Amino acid sequence: MATKPIEKDTHAFVTGNEVVAWAALAADAQIMYGYPITPQNEIMHYWTRLAPKYDRKFLQTEDELSAGFTTCGGVLTGTRSFTATAGPGTILMQEPITMAEMMRIPIVVVVQQRGGPSTATVIYSQQEARMCCYGGNGEGFRVVYSSSSHQDLYDFTIKAFNTAWKYRFPTIVLGDGYQAKMREAVTMYDPASRGISMVETEQFLGAPGLPGTDREPHFHKNTYNTEEELLEVVNKLKEDYDAVRAEIEEHECEYIDDAEIVIVGHGVVSRAVKEAVKLLRKEGYKAGYFRPITLRPFPGTALRKAVEGKKDIVVVESALGQLKQFMTEELYGCTVPITGYFKPGKGVSSAEIVEKVKSMTK
Amino acid sequence: MDRIVEAYIGEYASGKSENAVNRAVALKKAGHDVTLVDLDLVEPVYTLRPLKAMLTDMGINVIAWTTEETLGLGEAGSVLHPAMRWALRNKGDVILDIGYGARGSSILNLLEGVEDEKNFRVILVVNTLRPMTDTVEKIVEYHNESGPAHGLIANTHMGDDTELSQIIQGYEIVKKVSQKLEIPVDALAVDERFADAFPNGTWDHGVPVRVLKRFLPMGFW
Repeated sequence: MATKPIEKDTHAFVTGNEVVAWAALAADAQIMYGYPITPQNEIMHYWTRLAPKYDRKFLQTEDELSAGFTTCGGVLTGTRSFTATAGPGTILMQEPITMAEMMRIPIVVVVQQRGGPSTATVIYSQQEARMCCYGGNGEGFRVVYSSSSHQDLYDFTIKAFNTAWKYRFPTIVLGDGYQAKMREAVTMYDPASRGISMVETEQFLGAPGLPGTDREPHFHKNTYNTEEELLEVVNKLKEDYDAVRAEIEEHECEYIDDAEIVIVGHGVVSRAVKEAVKLLRKEGYKAGYFRPITLRPFPGTALRKAVEGKKDIVVVESALGQLKQFMTEELYGCTVPITGYFKPGKGVSSAEIVEKVKSMTK
Repeated sequence: MDRIVEAYIGEYASGKSENAVNRAVALKKAGHDVTLVDLDLVEPVYTLRPLKAMLTDMGINVIAWTTEETLGLGEAGSVLHPAMRWALRNKGDVILDIGYGARGSSILNLLEGVEDEKNFRVILVVNTLRPMTDTVEKIVEYHNESGPAHGLIANTHMGDDTELSQIIQGYEIVKKVSQKLEIPVDALAVDERFADAFPNGTWDHGVPVRVLKRFLPMGFW
């Protein structure tokens, strides 16, 4: 039986869902827990087809609540585990994700966003950004990578396992229905060939040795009976999160230095933004491009630096201002006006963005 | 002349729909009566439906759900359209696009009269740059799970990033599969960008080259 699913670089034509399954295999994930929901189904389909070939496992649960909790359970046994979902499934997964925050359980969740509110459309949207960052009761002590391409889905799925296990915060890879179903060329690689070693997993429960004698006892809980106790725990979580957020934050930008207008987008929309900026530059417009890669923690320092002293900021998203809300919070006190170009549940083309910017500068 | 009845099966995103649509359009242009059937019970919304009006305008009889007909059904809208069950009763050629959710050719027993259709051919579309079908062994395994097929189409490509050498390498792999399974390579399918590379319209001693116009980017996904 083959042990390494990807031994040498493989240039392949794949869908976004499929590439997530391959990435999880390459990242040495041992088990996926899942419940079917469009548009993430093929992550499960491909995982279940591939898993037996590489001695990996799969458990189909009765719903997403259970898929999230069983993923937590898998991690507690020291097994690199993940799940994937979308839309209403992401809603149900908030409870297990918050448990993972509280108990510092490094689960990995892949979310292929679909439209809302409610069951709504199964196709595409960017309306799960807020829920993925801050859903559930609590404070959103999670990491969210927003992917924009199949290569991103491959790279960040692998990275998500290491971020989760290194920092012990639940980590989400945020894709969408377009990325899930779209076909695109990608290079799949063995992480070791890129100098990436997978962070070692550790048994939370049933670890070897006698607790108190051979090792410190592990004490995992998510229930606190007094307000004082909870206050202390949550403040400690915040302290831990803030201590590592600068290491985790990621963004990319182009043409910022002399830009007068900075256009911001995340995920698949950032591709249209990037293209629009290139087109605008060709026509002499001083446009710049900024893309937050981590939505949580949000790369606020980098964004502030990119927009300071500019004339305008345009934020483009397939949602009604969820990204804009994150930005507004980070940019408090900054006087550069922010204009939104919002199309909840609908894709955005570079041509539309070019038009929008031109109409603003008339 | 005998009519043409072909069912296109293959790995998810192998190019089944693109090949089926192009085949239907080519037969129509050659003056045949053509019925094109979107036989996908899992995601009937996402393949031929967005192209239905355009193909109908070309004179092709398209059997696929329309948006209005499935409004409100959402993901539960996976039912066999009665016109699909009786598709083989249409006059002229019938081209069936078998959706990936259908577990290959096993869905074909839902078609009335399929066992009496003497010209019926199941065609396996293969893109060797798809990771699940990138070697002779994997393709044979895929065929044994989802077939049997009567013919193969070599459809190796990388979307916009395709190179001619990849097409040829893919053909060579499919040819080996053909020898192993003892079924013919019906055609080598290439994007219209590569038409000039095949001036005779054939490859490798007479295998027809089918030049594909890409219709599916006009679809949803």
